[in-house]
Amino acid sequence: MSATAAIPVRERAGAARRDPRALVLIGVTVATILLVGLVDHGFMSLQNLRFMVLNCVVLSLLALGQTLVIATRGIDLSVAPVLGLSAMVTGLMAQTGGLPLLGAFGLALAIGVILGTLNGLLVAKLAIPPIITTLGTYSLYSGLIFLYSDGTQVTSVPAAYAALGNGTVLGIVPIPVLVLGAVLAAIWFVIGHSRFGRAILAIGNNQAASYNAGIPVTATQVGAYAVCGVLAALAGLMFVSYTGSATVTTGTGDHMELQSIAVALIGGTAISGGRGPVIGSVLGALFLSVVLTALVFVHVPPIWYSAGEGLMILIAVTAGSRRTA
Amino acid sequence: MNDVAPALRNEVTARRGRTRRLPLGNWERALLALLLLLTAGLIAGVPGFYPGFAGFLALTENFLPFGFVALGLTTVILTGGIDLSVGAIAGLAAIVMASLWSGLHVSIWLSALIGLLAGGLLGLVNGLIITRLRTEPLIATLATSFIYGSVGVAIAGDNPPSGFPDAFNRVGTGAIGWLPVQIVLFAILAVLFSLLIGRSTFGRRVVMIGYNTDAARYSGVRVRQVLTLSYVISGTMAALAGIVLAAYYSAVRPDMGDLLLLSTITTVVLGGVSIFGGEGSIVGVVIAVLLLGMLRQGMLIAGFSDMVTTMLTGAILLGAIAVKNLFAGRGTGLSTLLGRFRRSGTAPAE
Repeated sequence: MSATAAIPVRERAGAARRDPRALVLIGVTVATILLVGLVDHGFMSLQNLRFMVLNCVVLSLLALGQTLVIATRGIDLSVAPVLGLSAMVTGLMAQTGGLPLLGAFGLALAIGVILGTLNGLLVAKLAIPPIITTLGTYSLYSGLIFLYSDGTQVTSVPAAYAALGNGTVLGIVPIPVLVLGAVLAAIWFVIGHSRFGRAILAIGNNQAASYNAGIPVTATQVGAYAVCGVLAALAGLMFVSYTGSATVTTGTGDHMELQSIAVALIGGTAISGGRGPVIGSVLGALFLSVVLTALVFVHVPPIWYSAGEGLMILIAVTAGSRRTA
Repeated sequence: MNDVAPALRNEVTARRGRTRRLPLGNWERALLALLLLLTAGLIAGVPGFYPGFAGFLALTENFLPFGFVALGLTTVILTGGIDLSVGAIAGLAAIVMASLWSGLHVSIWLSALIGLLAGGLLGLVNGLIITRLRTEPLIATLATSFIYGSVGVAIAGDNPPSGFPDAFNRVGTGAIGWLPVQIVLFAILAVLFSLLIGRSTFGRRVVMIGYNTDAARYSGVRVRQVLTLSYVISGTMAALAGIVLAAYYSAVRPDMGDLLLLSTITTVVLGGVSIFGGEGSIVGVVIAVLLLGMLRQGMLIAGFSDMVTTMLTGAILLGAIAVKNLFAGRGTGLSTLLGRFRRSGTAPAE
């Protein structure tokens, strides 16, 4: 692949090998594990390591979608209610209607495509700024969760779902990690090695120039939001499978939308678009999961967790701007 | 009318004359018409919405805290920035006030003043992070909202103070005659902000920075100072909202500002302020505060759930901006790009 001269692709995504941020994140994550592990050996136990990896799967999926959208110089606040709606719909149908797992995947896919495409159309066709669009659809989709659930909530899921959320292959590799790995590989390929991915980065760099260069701006934008919606819906299915529960405030209650943006930023995504470090986003989610678990192990009260998250965002972003400056 | 000779009445003076008679743009006029229609419709169609004049005015106490935040946030959005930390600041300032009052037995009024100053200080931190560390406002205030939120929870502890003196609670629920204190406060601040944004040098600079930061810098505007000050204003107004909410409930909670953020951004944008900055008026925002507030109260009284109301708010936001874009084709910052698309023959809408 080569970036054409007309489109100044600052940094090729997928070139994580040459992106120092990914190495830094890996280094800091390993250092944290070793450091806290020396204080408390329980931290380095296989069980805890697995917990930390499992814990970051849902957020990683959200952050991957968010990364794609931010790469187009957009933003998607509605990932949280999309996650919540997908968790609620698939969970409730599995709980009361015995929806097979394959059906749940199809349902999540449909929810993600429809809601994501709506976001994309509003942004690309009506020229509503992304932050306003997704703020509006955030309210709309949250309302849909409320209307659909009608006061009920998911309290348990069938065995097949529990296996998807908690099972392992050959007793070693957790299934959610496999799912995340497959998605990561797909997104990494798309953004680094496909026409669609290159169009995303080009639009994020310079929308007008991309348009003049013949890149289908509207279709690419809609596509990016649709993929983001699908990943958020998949995250919802993984969430309900992993925890076995979903309520009206799932996703929106923990401000998953802000968390996913935070993780993408920690991973090296530039809010000004044109960069899509997908591996960094997953590493960012893993780092966050490790640090938050480490805070538990060194007995920091839970109230300070979000402050730690805020500090990490500031450090990640200011460190990034220094380097590029 | 004017005693200007016809020959001298060029376009500019003509426009000035019009402005003097009706200081409202098309957008504000449309909003005002919508507000009047909505209020009339709610009074006629929803039993219990108009329980006498005083009771009707008292309805505003439920949503005017949003208005305080909206006034401050407008200043920031006009510069082209955004402040995601207003909710956290509102909660933290109210908790600072309540803790000083209950823990150190400071007078509630002095505590409230310190709470306001704390809000300004938190805004200052935002402003400094944005201007000195050159961080995007979205990121900086996202990060500080996490941090302020944590600090608020930490100070509040398990049992946040409540049961403030009655004299203080009157700020939230009291009335001067039939006029609620909140309305008086909001009216005074709305006029002040209107003058600040529309008539003062500072306001000119705020709008100029939002319209074109580079041009503002080259014309000698101290961009960093103005930006920082706008975040201080936003923080102070968020703190005021938190304190008024505390007086309204006679209690504080660290998460009591959470609801403020998304609704307030909706209000400001619906009020005609461009999210990219450089365009908008306080009058529009004030009308939007009343419009969304009345709608919410009306729907709640009519028995719709909070969630349905939120959905409707979202739909109105999207619809309003879509209509504005389609008919005006301006003011979104994408206008040049849109114009290019239109000329190239791409349909602007589907």
